[in-house]
Amino acid sequence: MFATVFFEHIILEVPRTRIYRRLGYRRGVTEITDKRAAEVEKYISEALNLIRLRGTGRRLPLQDKNEAQIVLGGGTGDEVLQSRRLSRFFGECQEAVLMGATAGHEIMAAIAEDTDGGHLTRGVVLDATASEMVDAALDWIMSYFARVLRRERKALTEKRFSAGYGDFQLENQQTMFRLLELERIEVQITETFLLVPEKSVTALAGVKGFD
Amino acid sequence: MAAKNSIKGLSKKGIVLLDGAIGTELQKGGMPAGVCPEAWCLENPAVLQDIYRTYKKAGSHIVYAATFGANRCKLSQYGLKDVRTINRDLAMLAKNAVGKGCFVAGDIGPTGRFVAPFGDLPFEEAVEIFKEQIAGLLEGGVDLMVIETMLDIQEARAALLAVKETCDLFTLVTMTYEKDGRTLNGTDPVTALITLQSLGADAVGCNCSSGPEAMLGMVEAMKPYATVPLAAKPNAGMPRMEGGDTVFDMDAAAFGGWGKRLAAAGANLLGGCCGTTPAHIGALKAGVADAPSLPPCRTALSAVSSARGHRIFERGNPLQIVGERLNPTGKKALQQELLEGKMTLVRQLAREQEEMGVALLDVNVGVPGLDEVKAIGEVINLLAVTTGVPLMVDSSRAETIEAALRCYPGRALINSISGEKEKLARLLPLAAKYGAMFILLPLADGELPLTAERRREIVKDIYQKARTYGFTKEDIIVDGLVMTVASDPRAALETLKTVDWCANKFHCRTLLGLSNVSFGMPERQWVNAAFLAMGQVLGLNLAIANPGSAEMMNIKAAGDLLLQKDRDAAAYLARFSRFEVPGAKLPPPVAASPGDRVSQAIMEGNREDIAALVEEALAAGRSARALVDEFMTPAIVRVGDLFDKKVYFLPQLIAAAEVMKLGLSFLEPQLSAGSGIAAPKGTVILATVMGDIHDIGKNIVALMLRNHGYQVVDLGKNVPVETVVAAMKEHRPHVVGLSALMTTTMVKMQKVIELAAREGLQCPFLVGGAVVTGAYAASIGAAYARDGVEAVRVVDALIQAGERRESEK
Repeated sequence: MFATVFFEHIILEVPRTRIYRRLGYRRGVTEITDKRAAEVEKYISEALNLIRLRGTGRRLPLQDKNEAQIVLGGGTGDEVLQSRRLSRFFGECQEAVLMGATAGHEIMAAIAEDTDGGHLTRGVVLDATASEMVDAALDWIMSYFARVLRRERKALTEKRFSAGYGDFQLENQQTMFRLLELERIEVQITETFLLVPEKSVTALAGVKGFD
Repeated sequence: MAAKNSIKGLSKKGIVLLDGAIGTELQKGGMPAGVCPEAWCLENPAVLQDIYRTYKKAGSHIVYAATFGANRCKLSQYGLKDVRTINRDLAMLAKNAVGKGCFVAGDIGPTGRFVAPFGDLPFEEAVEIFKEQIAGLLEGGVDLMVIETMLDIQEARAALLAVKETCDLFTLVTMTYEKDGRTLNGTDPVTALITLQSLGADAVGCNCSSGPEAMLGMVEAMKPYATVPLAAKPNAGMPRMEGGDTVFDMDAAAFGGWGKRLAAAGANLLGGCCGTTPAHIGALKAGVADAPSLPPCRTALSAVSSARGHRIFERGNPLQIVGERLNPTGKKALQQELLEGKMTLVRQLAREQEEMGVALLDVNVGVPGLDEVKAIGEVINLLAVTTGVPLMVDSSRAETIEAALRCYPGRALINSISGEKEKLARLLPLAAKYGAMFILLPLADGELPLTAERRREIVKDIYQKARTYGFTKEDIIVDGLVMTVASDPRAALETLKTVDWCANKFHCRTLLGLSNVSFGMPERQWVNAAFLAMGQVLGLNLAIANPGSAEMMNIKAAGDLLLQKDRDAAAYLARFSRFEVPGAKLPPPVAASPGDRVSQAIMEGNREDIAALVEEALAAGRSARALVDEFMTPAIVRVGDLFDKKVYFLPQLIAAAEVMKLGLSFLEPQLSAGSGIAAPKGTVILATVMGDIHDIGKNIVALMLRNHGYQVVDLGKNVPVETVVAAMKEHRPHVVGLSALMTTTMVKMQKVIELAAREGLQCPFLVGGAVVTGAYAASIGAAYARDGVEAVRVVDALIQAGERRESEK
């Protein structure tokens, strides 16, 4: 029923605290010189120049559900996602929001160049920045859908669920990839169900409320 | 036009009351979930008409037609196509319900898609989608248009342009802001106000998302800069989930109580959004019964905006620098990139200038052979998402300027409009249509005026013509016309006289393109900086300059301070304070001995100096072997300890390891020549298993192991099981390290171990990666390390255990 929404440029506050935490920074414990701090900030800034956050999102009705799987309707046909934990996660939800985001190819090329070419320090900062930016992009997409749903007296679950987590096998990434039309934001999927560029993620959230 | 004047008149007399929520009232009237609200209303007109009558009775001066989702994109989700008829019929239904004494607004909501550059919906397609809806609303006889619940300033612009290009009805635009006071794309209320009121909105405001308390702050923020009435249509408090339903807690009496405060803050139109009812509007009416409607504080505003920020050119503000580097004139690299359709340099130049503190960015794409109209669209779209700095559109071609103004999601500054008749006739209407500010360049046809007196005449002449399009002095910035002193010694003085007259007699803003003044002179930066300071004293507002010039930026900061334009010297002090990061500390004092300095360089990750320090230590008589054993290795071990204790974080660990590696590579000739080279502690094969492409962790482990004296055979990523086993046969390693990030690929580790066992290869395995745990490692007969530092220790332990076993045989 609802078409896929494409977000060509997601603009968000840089999640600095999360980036530093991912790099192992602990407030009050980690000691960092001015020079090193400036260098890390410079690498974060360079990462931001290379990251292009794009995303897609889609609402699909929950056609059926039992304790082992959920069935999404509204696509080209019913889509079965097998996972007991996912089924429990959806609880009383009547609808699902699927979402995907990517940091793009340019940042991945830079990370590869740094890690292969002897500037691993920059590489790890670029890597952490890209990871957290993509995660923040999913938060942003959830905010968008939460706002749209609120006008329908509905709400989005606070958490989201991704393929590869618990018993929700990574193979399901193929279904997510197709339903989210990720090719349109230049994301590919490998035979082992990994998304390329590497800093690309998908997730599901549930919709609850007025019925 | 009559309705427009009536509505304007209404807002002058008192607070104009809008309606409350329609959707929840329809649900109370029996509308089931999941249906198309617009279609259901047409099938159940009595329910909707009853709601309108109740709102009118409660006090609403304006009700919204139930056309919020009646655009092509939304209706097609329900298989409906006749946009025009649906809008017409819903508008008529509202008109018939309220009759006289209440206006009906055509309600235009979001398409549900994001408009370029933020989404995939092309801007012109968005405009057409809204025009289609507007045509139906006009046929239905609506009295005004309301563009509401907009999450994206660009979509709001598309809808507003669609209205303005279709009719002359009063148009109210309200945006929806998040808890942080910005839209999802980062637009704040004042920025949206500047963009929308300049583009022709007759009233601007906010609706939905928050209760009246949060909206009060937004109205207060907007009021000082509003040239149009302000609207607020809050929810009945903040929504919360209760028993599977979204509920709003604020009752009618409490809601009505906020009316007076919102009016006092400057709201002129008030209504309710989600969770409000006719009772809420009734209470609002009572609440604002004796509240005056405060008129806009001003009739014009000298300000520009981007999608995420704005600049207001108030008297008394510090001098603002316009970054000049996004101009391909004389820049071959930028010219080439633009010709090739690449944008990397554009993005880099924008970000660099933003970091240097520019207030605006001058954007010019004038390259011979380039399709300027296409290029400016691409560049503007890129900059709209790259930077929050407002843009100055710089072109000599009207069509380029028009293309930029149409797609720019903010209020731009045109550079420039001169007195040349043909350009004036073409550009003034364009600037007026899109509400842009412009730089008035005092040139006339075939004339480059050399004296301030003549420039004044041309300024007055252009301004007179601009006034006929509704421009005020707030909308223009006069370029003082900078000429080079090398060819005309009077040039600088005539320019400064022009600035003086504009700022202090004519009372308009001024700008100088600084660098022309010093053309042909040596050490130009001093001439530019002195010229800037002189302009500052006379009241200069903006200067186009290179923000990378320290002399100029420092003089600007000092000038602002001396002219009392830098409150509490905050900007000056910030500029000349040291870079500070929370938790940052001064580096430790310089170590005493050359060996200690090498050790310190590793500890600090001092990549730049390590080679010189190693050389210094060797010159001081240390042998290469001793330097490694007594200083470098202990230093890197200490770094590992600090990382374990989280005193160091990952970039410090890696930087230290990279410096160690550099130091070792520098020492390698001496170590080899002097037979000081130690035999490797062991050989380790590393691989990221088949199907997995995430290998940064494995690369860190490789670096750490090499620094600790191991020979590492790195097979890379996505390595087949057979390749790992073949490498084991070839290199006979002491340990094999395998990494995987995903659960699907993790199982390949077990396959490697099983195949190696079948092939009779005896060797301990070490595994790691994001999803790998110690328990999983144990289950497949491998050791486990959580990071690079631990990997070194585990490999040490595995090899020692192997040696013990050998010695026990």
